Amino acid sequence: MSDMKLKLRCENVSKTFIQKGNQEVPVIRDITLSVYENEFLVILGPGQSGKSTLLKIFAGLEQPDTGTITLDGKPVEGPGPDRGLVFQSYMLFAWKTVRDNVELGLKLRGVPAEERRKTAQHYIDLVGLTGFERHYPHQLSGGMKQRVGIARAYANTPSIMLLDEPFGQLDAQTRMFMQKETARIWEQERRTVIFVTNNIDEALFLGDRIVLMEGKLPGTIKTEYVLDLPRPREHTGMDFLRLRKEITDNTELVL
Amino acid sequence: MAGNSIANETVNQSRNREPFSLRRFLTNKYFLYCVSICLFLSLWDYVAREKIFRDSLARPLEVWDQLVLLTQIKFAGTHLWGHIWASLQRVLIGFVLASIVAIPLGLFMALNRYVNAIVKPLFDLFKPMPPIAWVSIAILWFGIGETSKVFIIIIGTFVPCLLNAYNGVRLVDPDLYDVIRVLGGSRRDEIIHVCFPASFPAIFAGLQISLSSAWTCVLAAELMNSRDGMGFLIKRGMDTHQPTLVLGGMILIAAAAYGTSLIVSLAERRLCPWQRTIDNL
Repeated sequence: MSDMKLKLRCENVSKTFIQKGNQEVPVIRDITLSVYENEFLVILGPGQSGKSTLLKIFAGLEQPDTGTITLDGKPVEGPGPDRGLVFQSYMLFAWKTVRDNVELGLKLRGVPAEERRKTAQHYIDLVGLTGFERHYPHQLSGGMKQRVGIARAYANTPSIMLLDEPFGQLDAQTRMFMQKETARIWEQERRTVIFVTNNIDEALFLGDRIVLMEGKLPGTIKTEYVLDLPRPREHTGMDFLRLRKEITDNTELVL
Repeated sequence: MAGNSIANETVNQSRNREPFSLRRFLTNKYFLYCVSICLFLSLWDYVAREKIFRDSLARPLEVWDQLVLLTQIKFAGTHLWGHIWASLQRVLIGFVLASIVAIPLGLFMALNRYVNAIVKPLFDLFKPMPPIAWVSIAILWFGIGETSKVFIIIIGTFVPCLLNAYNGVRLVDPDLYDVIRVLGGSRRDEIIHVCFPASFPAIFAGLQISLSSAWTCVLAAELMNSRDGMGFLIKRGMDTHQPTLVLGGMILIAAAAYGTSLIVSLAERRLCPWQRTIDNL
C-alpha cells in the first residue's frame, strides 16, 4: 500500500457526545486511518460502533473533539463538495425530479445548464436509471432511490466518496444486486471510496481493504484486512468464505 | 409501462377491466353517491311536506325556484350574481391580503429565532381568540362598510396561514440541510432548495383552512350588518320569514366555498407536482 498515493488521513480522532445535558457518551476513540487513491475501503462494524459518526466527521458534518482529518493534504474543517456523501435513508429531495436531484451539486456550484444536463445524464446512465430522468423520488423503488443518491454524489465529481450504510434499508435480494451494481459503477469510474456497513458479505464483496471496528462504544479499530481477491467476486468463492470465517471468528457480528 | 432496464426492479401500471354486471353497478361508488343524495333530498322533502317544522322548512324544489327567480329579478338592488360577487370579493381581498403578509412572516419566524422571539408571544396571545369575537370592535373602529368586513376576514385567515408556514419549515428533516451542505451549498441554498419547497404542502394546507375560516367570517360580518352578499340574503330571509331565501343562501355559500377550495387544490397540484394524490381528501 505504501507505494500508493495518500488520499485521506485521519489521525487520533476522538468524539464524545453529550446526551441529556451532562451525560457523556464517548463514540469513537483514537482512530488513525489512511485511505489511498482509488481504493475501496470498507469500514465494517456492528450497530453502535461509531462507524457512522466517523463518516460524518470525514464529511465535515461533525467536528472531532481531538485529532485531525486531512484530504489531499488539506485539513478538513467543514462540509464541502470535495466529499460526496450517500445517506442510508437516501435523503432525496421529494420536490425534485431524478435529473434535478442529480444536477443539484453542479447547480449550486454555478455550472451552466447545458453542461449540468450532460454531466447529470452521464451519471444517470451510469447508475442505470436511463428513462427515469423525469420521475419524482416517490415513484421509485428503494434500490432506485439509492441509485439516485449515488448518482447525485458522483455527479459532483468529489475527490472521495463516502457511503453510509447505503443499502441498509433494502431487502436482501435488492441489496445483493446493488452490491454488484456498486462494484460495476466503481470499476467503470474509479474513485476513492469509504463504504460503511454492518454486513460482512457486503464488505467482502466490495472492499480492497476492510477496517473492522470494535463492537461497543467507544468505537476503536480492531483490525484490518487487505483483500486481494479478483473481481468480480463470488459470494461462494473459496477465498471469500475463508476470509468470511476469519472475520466472523473475530467479531460478534453474526451476519 | 415496465422499466426493464433495471433487472429486478420494475414499475408497473395496470388497470383492471371487469365485465359489466348488475352487482358491479350496484356497488359502484358513484351510484352509491347518487343513492345517498337522493335519499337525503327525499327525507328533506318529506319533512318539509309534513310540516314538521311548521312552515319554516321549504321543499328542495321551492328553494331551487327561489334561486332561479333571484337570477331574473333584482333583490335589494342587485341580481343573484351581484350578491355572490359581493361576498366573494370580500373573501378574496381579505384572504389575499392576509396570506401575502402571514406566509412570509411565518417563514421568517421559522428561519430566524429573533423574529420568532418577537412575534411568537403576540401570536400566542391572540391565537385562541375566535375571529368572530372581533366583529363588534371592527364595526366600532371601521364602521359598517367594507373595511370592517375585510378586517374580520384578515383576522380569521391570518392565524392558520402563519401557523402552517411556520410549522412547514420547522418540520423539515434537518438531514436534508446536510445534503445541501455536503454538496457545497450555502445557507441561502438551504433556504431556496429545502425550506421553501418542503414547506409548500403545509402552506397549502394552511390556505385551505384559512379559506374556510374566511367564509365563516364573511358570513358572520354580513349577518351583523350589510346591504348585499349571501349572508345578507340569509339575514333578510330570516327577518321576513322566507325559509326559501335562508336555505338558498346557505346552499349558495356552501357552493361558493367549495368552488374556492377547489381552485386552491388545483393550484396546489400545479405547484407541487411531486405530491402523491390521495383519493377523497
